[in-house]
Formats: sequence, C-alpha cells, structure tokens
Amino acid sequence: MIRGVIIMNDQGKPRLIRFYEFQPVEKQQELVRSIYKILCSRAENVSNFVKVDSLFGPDVRLVYKTFATLYFVFIFDNSENELAMLDLMQVFVETLDKCFSNVCELDIVFNFNKVHTILDEIILGGQVLETSSSDVVMAVEDISKLEKNSNSIIPSIPGWQGR
Amino acid sequence: MALSGMRGLSVFISDIRNCQNKEQERLRVDKELGNIRTRFKNEKGLTPYEKKKYVWKMLYIHMLGYDVDFGHMEAVSLISAPKYPEKQVGYIVTSCLLNENHDFLRLAINTVRNDIIGRNETFQCLALTLVGNIGGREFAESLAPDVQKLLISSSCRPLVRKKAALCLLRLYRKNPDVVNVDGWSDRMAQLLDERDLGVLTSSMSLLVALVSNNHEAYWSCLPKCVKTLERLAKNQDVPQEYTYYGIPSPWLQVKTMRALQYFPTVEDPNTRRSLFEVLQRILMGTDVVKNVNKNNASHAVLFEALALVMHLDAEKEMMSQCVALLGKFISVREPNIRYLGLENMTRMLMVTDVQDIIKRHQAQIITSLKDPDISIRRRALDLLYGMCDVSNAKDIVEELLQYLSTADFAMREELSLKAAILAEKFAPDLSWYVDVILQLIDKAGDFVSDDIWFRVVQFVTNNEDLQPYAALKAREYLDKHAIHETMVKVSAYILGEYGHLLARRPGCSPKEIFSIIHEKLPTVSTSTIPILLSTYAKILMHTQPPDKELQSQIWAIFSKYESCIDAEIQQRAVEYHALSMKGATLMDILSEMPKFPERQSSLIRKAEDAEADTAEQSAIKLRAQQQASNALMVTDQRPAYDTQAVNQPGLVKLPSMSNVERSNAEQGATHANGALTVIDPQLPSTPSPDLLGDLLGPLAIEGPPGTGPQIEPRLASDLESGANADALAIAPVEEQTQTIQPICNIAERFRALCMKDSGVLYEDPYIQIGIKAEWRAHHGRLVLFLGNKNTAPLSSVQALILPPSHLNMELSLVPETIPPRAQVQCPLEVLNLKPSRDLAVLDFSYKFGTHVVDAKLRLPAVFNKFLQPITVSAEEFFPQWRSLSGPPLKLQEVVRGVRPMPLSEMANLFISLRLMVCPGLDPNTNNLVASTTFYSEGTRAMLCLVRIETDPADRTQLRMTVASGDPTLTFELKEFIKEQLVYIPVPSTAPNPVPPPNPISPQALPTSPPTAVSDPGALLAGLL
Repeated sequence: MIRGVIIMNDQGKPRLIRFYEFQPVEKQQELVRSIYKILCSRAENVSNFVKVDSLFGPDVRLVYKTFATLYFVFIFDNSENELAMLDLMQVFVETLDKCFSNVCELDIVFNFNKVHTILDEIILGGQVLETSSSDVVMAVEDISKLEKNSNSIIPSIPGWQGR
Repeated sequence: MALSGMRGLSVFISDIRNCQNKEQERLRVDKELGNIRTRFKNEKGLTPYEKKKYVWKMLYIHMLGYDVDFGHMEAVSLISAPKYPEKQVGYIVTSCLLNENHDFLRLAINTVRNDIIGRNETFQCLALTLVGNIGGREFAESLAPDVQKLLISSSCRPLVRKKAALCLLRLYRKNPDVVNVDGWSDRMAQLLDERDLGVLTSSMSLLVALVSNNHEAYWSCLPKCVKTLERLAKNQDVPQEYTYYGIPSPWLQVKTMRALQYFPTVEDPNTRRSLFEVLQRILMGTDVVKNVNKNNASHAVLFEALALVMHLDAEKEMMSQCVALLGKFISVREPNIRYLGLENMTRMLMVTDVQDIIKRHQAQIITSLKDPDISIRRRALDLLYGMCDVSNAKDIVEELLQYLSTADFAMREELSLKAAILAEKFAPDLSWYVDVILQLIDKAGDFVSDDIWFRVVQFVTNNEDLQPYAALKAREYLDKHAIHETMVKVSAYILGEYGHLLARRPGCSPKEIFSIIHEKLPTVSTSTIPILLSTYAKILMHTQPPDKELQSQIWAIFSKYESCIDAEIQQRAVEYHALSMKGATLMDILSEMPKFPERQSSLIRKAEDAEADTAEQSAIKLRAQQQASNALMVTDQRPAYDTQAVNQPGLVKLPSMSNVERSNAEQGATHANGALTVIDPQLPSTPSPDLLGDLLGPLAIEGPPGTGPQIEPRLASDLESGANADALAIAPVEEQTQTIQPICNIAERFRALCMKDSGVLYEDPYIQIGIKAEWRAHHGRLVLFLGNKNTAPLSSVQALILPPSHLNMELSLVPETIPPRAQVQCPLEVLNLKPSRDLAVLDFSYKFGTHVVDAKLRLPAVFNKFLQPITVSAEEFFPQWRSLSGPPLKLQEVVRGVRPMPLSEMANLFISLRLMVCPGLDPNTNNLVASTTFYSEGTRAMLCLVRIETDPADRTQLRMTVASGDPTLTFELKEFIKEQLVYIPVPSTAPNPVPPPNPISPQALPTSPPTAVSDPGALLAGLL
C-alpha cells in the first residue's frame, strides 16, 4: 500500500501532501521536515531509495525523484515494488506535464487543487488506480468540463458509453 | 490545463508566497482563517462558489501546517451539493482533512450511498474515491454490496469499475466479512478475465489483498494470473496507452506476480510450465539500457520475477540463474539496480543452496560498502551480515572493523552492533571473539552498548581457557594512552577477576595492575567507579600473602569513597572496606564469579526480533518466517497450510517404551509423541517461569556489575551476624528454574517432514536437530544434524532409536558431547520389512548445566516414504483392477468426516503423498484414480491402485477403494490415505484446538487409551 505522496521544493516547502493513512497535521509537518533533511543531503547520481525506518518503522520504504526544483516523494510499504513506484511517479509527473503543458513549480503552487484531482485519478486508497497517463488526462479533462458547466445540473451520462 | 482556476484562491496563495518570514505567514493565515470562520457563520450570504473557494483555502492552510479546527461541517456538507464542482470539492477536501472515525463522516453515509447507487457515474466516481480513501467499518457494513454490484456490473464503464474494485479492497480491509468467500471467489476469477487493463490492475490489487489472507479460497484464480502474466509478457493484446516505455503495463505484471507469491505452490504441471516459461523469458530478456525510466520499468518486472522464482524455488537451475543475474546487477552503473541487487541477494539468502554462489560475490559486496550512496552502503552491510557464516566470518567481521574507522556516523552504531553479533554467532574460536569485541570498543566505544561488553564478560567467565588470554588483552589495552570508558570498564572487570592468572608476566603484578587501572579513575564517570572499586577488592583478595603497601593504598581509596554522595559507590566502599578487614575470610566472598547460566544472547535475540517484526505483509518474508533460523541449517519448509492438530485421528502405534521410561512416565516426568520432558532436579514441581519474558528483557544476561550490589551487601550483613558458612555460597543464578521449551510445534515440524525430505525436526534454545533423507525403494538413509547453538558444550547426549517392528534401523555413533557451536552428523540407515504405518521414535536427551532435556521425537520414516509414484495406462490398469477382485486384496470403504476440498486439491495432496494421479481413467469427473508402487523387503515392489469416488453434493464423504497384491498393504494404504483425508485442518488464524501438552503433568498419548494403541483400526473406528 502507498502510505503517502509528498511534493516539496528544494527549500523543504510542501507543495502537496497526501497521506492515505490519517496523520494529524503536526505529524505531517514533522514528517515533511525529516524527509527533507534526509533528501537535501543526498548527492546527485545516487539511487532513488532512502531508509526511513526511524520515521515510519521497518518495512516502509521511500522513493524520491528530483524534477527541477521539486522533490517528488512516495512512501509505501513492502507490498509494493520499489521500481514500480518510481514508474508510477513518472506517470504522475508526465501527466502533470501534459495537463499543465511543461509543468513547473508555480503551476503546482497555484493549482494545488488540480494536482489533487489528478492524483486522485492515479492513486486511490493507497493503491494504484490507473497507470495510463492518457487515460488519466482524459478523466481529468472530463472533470474540468463538468466544472465549467457549473451553472447547469449535470445530466447523467449513459452507463454504456465506452471508451 | 483545462481545470478552472479560482481568483480568490490564487490571490491568497500569492499573499502567502510574498510573506517574508514565518511570522508574516502566520498573520496572513490567521487573518484568512478569521475571515473564513466569519463567512461560514453567516452562511446565508455564501454562494456555492465561495464555499468551494474557502474549503480549498482550508486545505491549503492545512498543508502549510496549520491546524484547521473548524469548517469540517462545511466541507462535508458540500458533498450533498447538487452541482458537480461543489460536490467534487466536498469529496476531495473531506477525504484529505478528516480521519475515518470523524463523526461528520457518519452523517454523510447516506448521501454517499445515494451517489453510489445513483445513475450519475461522475458522482459514483467521487463517492467511490472518498470511500476508497477514508471509508471505515460503518461504510463497509452499509456500502459493500452496492460497491460489489458496480464492480461486476457489465453496464458500468471501466472508469467506475476500477474505482469500485479499490473501494471494495478498502472496505474488505475494514471488515473482512464484507467479502463472502463462497460467493466471491468465482466472481473474482471472472474479474480476472477482464480485457480492460485499468480494471484488471485494480482487480489484481484486490486479489492480492484477498489471497494474502486466505489463498485456499482463490485457487481458481491462480491459472488466470498465469494467463494474464503470459498475455503481458508476450505483449499480446496490450493497448498502446498501457505500454510504458515499451514495457506492457509493468504495474500489472508486478501485481500479478505478487498475487502468485501468496499461493504456496503451483501444482498443476501445465500451469507451472507456462509460468516458468514466462519467468524464464523475463529473466533472460531484460537488459540494462540507457533510458532510466525504461530501466526502472523493466527491472521492476525483473525483480518481481526473481521474488517469484525464489518463492517457487523448486527449479534449482533457475535459481542459480537468478543469483548470476544479481551478481551482475550489484556491479552495474545504475544505482537503483545496484541497490535492489544487493537487497534481493539478501532475500535470496533465505533460499536453500545458494549461499555458496552468493559467497562468490563477496569481494564485490565488500566494495559496495564504499559506494557513494549511503542507501547502498546500508544494503551491502545488511547483505554481509546475512551471508556471514562460520566459513567467512573472519573475513567479513574484519572487513567491518576496518570500515568502522571511516564509516559515517549514521552507520557506526549499526555496524558495531552487527559486527558484535556476527563475531559472537560465528566465532571460529573464542579468543578471536574477544579480540573483535575489544577492537570494537577501542574503535567505536561510543557505539558499543552495555549488552556487548556484558556478553564478552559472560563468555570469559564461562570459559576457563579464555580467561588468561582475555586478561592479557585487557592488560595490553590499558597501556594505550586514551582509552574509551567502556574499555576501562571491561578491562577492569576482567583484570579484577582474572588478573592474578597473569601474575608472573612482567608488568602484571597485582600492584602494577592496580596502579594502571587506578590511573584511569580520574577520567571516568560515576557509573564506572563502582566497577573499579570491585576490581580493587578482588585484587586485594588475590594478593596472598597480603601486600601491606597495596592494602593501605586500597583501603585509603575505600575510606575516601565511604563518604561519597553517590549511594552505589558509597555502599561498595563501605562494604569492601569492612570485608577486606576480615582478612582470609575475604577469600570466600570475593572469589571468582560463578558461571553465568547459558542464555541466548540478548543481541542475537534483538536481531531476531527485529527480523520477525518486519514480516507483516511481504510474501517472501512470510516464507522466511516459516523457515527455521539458518544459523545451523537452511531448510525449505512447506508453508503452513498443511498444518495439523497435534492429536491427529488415526494415531499410530508408537513403539513401546522401556520399563525405565514407563516408570518415568508414571512419575510424570516423561511423555511421548513429540512432547518434551524437562527434568529439573532442583525444583521439579515449580511451574515454569515466564522464560520468554525473561529472554525478551532488555538484557539477557545479568550485567556483572549489577550482580555485585545485589549479592554482596547481603553477604556482608550475614557475615556480621555470624551466619553459618553454608549460607555464604554465592547464590547461584542457575537456581532459577528454566523449562526448556521447543521452538515451534514439534508435531507441525514432523508433519512437514512427512511430505519432504529435509528440514528441522526439533529445536530448542540449546540444540537444533535437522534431518536430511534419501529414499530408494525399501531403503532409506537419514542424516541427523545435531547442532549445539551455545557457547558451552552439550553433554550426556544420547540418541536412541525406538524402531517399530517393520523397520530395521541403525543409527551410527552419536558423540556424547557436542562442542560449542558445532554440528555433528549422524547417519541413520532404514530398511523397510513390511507394510505398516507404525512410527519410529527418536528418544533424544542431553544435559545442559543441571537440566536434563529429554525429547521423544517421531521420525519421518513414514509409510509414504516407501512409495514410488507410477503412471499406468488404461490397458494396464483395468486388468489389474479386475483381477484383484475383493477383500482382502481389494478393500472398499465409505469415509465420512472428510476435510472438504476441491478435487484438484485432493489430487495435489495425493501427489505430495507420492501417489500418481491418473487422469482420464475414470470417466466420471468427480472421481479420482491413482497408482503407486510400494517397496518393502517382504513385498518387494508392489503395485497399488486407488480409486476415490466423491460426492459433489457432500464433500465431507467419499468412497475409497484400494487394491494391491498384499492384504496387509491394502489395509495399511487404505488407512494411511484415510488419515490424510480426514484430519481436521487447523485454521491458520484460530488457536490450536488442542491445548499444548503440559510439559510437567503426567500424560499418556493424548488421544488414545492404552488398549487402543495396539489396534489402529479400532482406534480409527472410534474416532470416526
């Protein structure tokens, strides 16, 4: 199970925090700080894995990746495959890139609500929901269409409509 | 990006970004929170748009780390908004801010349910997402059927169904009863036929959760998993959008292989073949390429395949291929792959027979200790720790010691702990062990916990040969200029006890030893001074005839500390002073410390606990847990699905015990059938103290300094009051009763060994008995591996075979003493004379300290070991079947009370019992026909035929027909199969229905009155 997804910048400022097991707000901040401390001391060209036993107990793993000024962090237990988590992170980033066309930190700062929407189409309850970036983009586009039509009540979409 | 923005939200975020410092940010946030609070209070003027905006702001503020203790109601209330945008915000923010037990959430259940059963699929998606993220028990109870319906509905879009699958998974975790096993297992199998890979991925996650709890119910999913894996690995019918960097959905491949790891084996030969083909393809077809993402994806699949091969580990050939691959990985440029290569090698250590191949890579692994990435260095350390054994301990530990000087601080503690454990576990000789620990203290004293130096003291105390050496070493370290305080403690302690053994060496006179230790006193802390005082008292005691000068020096020190503010120091000073005034009487009281009771090292214990704790979810670790510790012998135990109650019905005769043993049994000291006897001569009737609790205590040994004050003050006061000298004997710690309990259930171990040829037969804190067997026709050769787990020898070792009448058994000589940490092998030859299900028993006893342990162990020289599966064609079968026309050569019986199992499972069971299932001979698919050859000296090779007719309406009964050319064989085989079919399975989670036999109370065979023992048939009849 994926325990949490964190996006933070290279100053340690959180840009998105999503835990799939409830964490009180102070704990969330403490975790973000501790993770930042570990990540900022890591050199380039090292592995994407760090040990976080002291923060989360044994069996919890953390993978991270840096994209420009941002750290993307996935925290998960040993029922997940580490490299598959990195792949999923890549899907998440590629999807953000498609949705914001050349995503940068500011896009994520000002559209944190949309980032949540996108993430909800990729991970649900700590499990991988969708791995096809184009399917996610499609779902998110549907949602934004619905948002725009906020003045009219949405007619229900016939159930048989396939993709 | 098409998502619509909100101006108010953007302005707020900008304001926050423009804050110069945390204080300004707080002010801005407080202002905003105040504003939101006011607006929420006068809700009337609030448009849905505004509400939505404020709720998002709340989430943003929450992310910044501020507690938002209001507005939850507003967030939840948006869920019931009629329009999509508000509803969506309500759902998302609620699932981020609230935990599953929040009261407001309960209020929303109805709305959520209406959205789930409503026809609007966008609403369905939102509701499923919320429930999947934070749904609790109540949601599980009220929503599970609706969610199930959506998942299997053919009219729902994949978009909804994949969410329903994960939502159901969450509800199942909250309340496993929501998924009714009977109804759901077929549905689950159908779901795996899904073509849409999104739905299939989610369903596979659901399956993983289900099989991790109960794989039995989902056997039918196994072949479908293999099909799915084939489809992906061969890239058949995989849409472009699910191909990630050229790899067909790596996630689904990984999940599928994860699911397969929860099944104990793949029995069906065809499925197995296909699976191994796919695995082979994955193992061979993956290369390291330039593109990082492609590498990650292909290796995600590859590492999962490795894990699966390890799990299925039968194919030895593939295993060595895996190790070879890993050997390649640990030296590639890509750090992630190096990291995982080391990690997987560590996991691989659990598997039999590959340690030697892994050892070939030792040099490369040691190099990885110097990797620029600390994550990789840690993995290398773990691996070296795991692969260490007697053969390479010296190299590895010395390498670790060397590395210790340059290692980063973050790793030193772990490094020194691991080095200490390895040195203890695998020391080729004890002086080397002492060297290592002293070096460790010298190099990294700050990281050496008290446990470590207590342990070395314990070893030295318990091994006389070691004492002069340790004293000499301690003396050498004291010559160094600056030594760590722990070194002062340990060397002072050792020299106090054994310094006199060095007396003739230069620089080792009592005076010289005293003064070099005393030099250190000004540099040490209060906690060390008491140890030094004890040392002085001991030096004084050993100096005979007394040296007046030394005496006055030491007395001066004692009197100085008699007024010390620290109570411990003061007490010791006062008491030692008073005692040393007594002159020769001192000898008795301050004589050498008695030997410590042998216990498992607290270090090793801790290390093992840490390993056990982490075994929660991973399939591979689950297996590792089922395997015995590899300290002595690595075994490949069968998973626990065939565990069995201790008192299986149809218990078979045990060979009668000798008279002596019988009288023992009457005294309530011995009892048979795998139960264990402990004869404690000191306190025979005391119930065993909580030994485990004791072992789990923070220190497994009484620290030498700790025992001083506990014993000595009492002695001092006794002495003053003139108590008689008998009372003065230092209270031996051994007096505590220790009941020696076997580790793991002996009956289970026996049962597992009946199905396979190597494993652990018995283990307790002192000894491990492993078994390896080879069977050829009516001959068998077993080797018993007797491993002493301790640092002291096991004495009075006796192994007596009590063979049943049909077996000739010859055990080679068993040495009377097993040296510390040694393993002896004792071959045992078996000859089968005639068919019988009687059991051979090994009566094993040894002495440890004052304890006599006596275990009666059933030996797995059982009926089915003399079977050899054979395939017969219809042309051979039917004439035989007809010619054996009736009793006593052909026996038929209706068996009731059969453990219900699908026919395929029964077939698997037969195969594991070495009966060849012959499909196609019986046209009725509810029937099963099997054949085998039985070997004994009396019957030679004899063909046996079996037919089982099951009743699909009532799986608890069946009709069994067994035929062979020998009446006894026919009867015994029939009974044997019956025993296997009727036993009451123990659910893995439920407690064992049979209370474990009390090790002290007198007890005969738990299930059978003595008269029945001689007649298995009557016994069985009684039980059925």
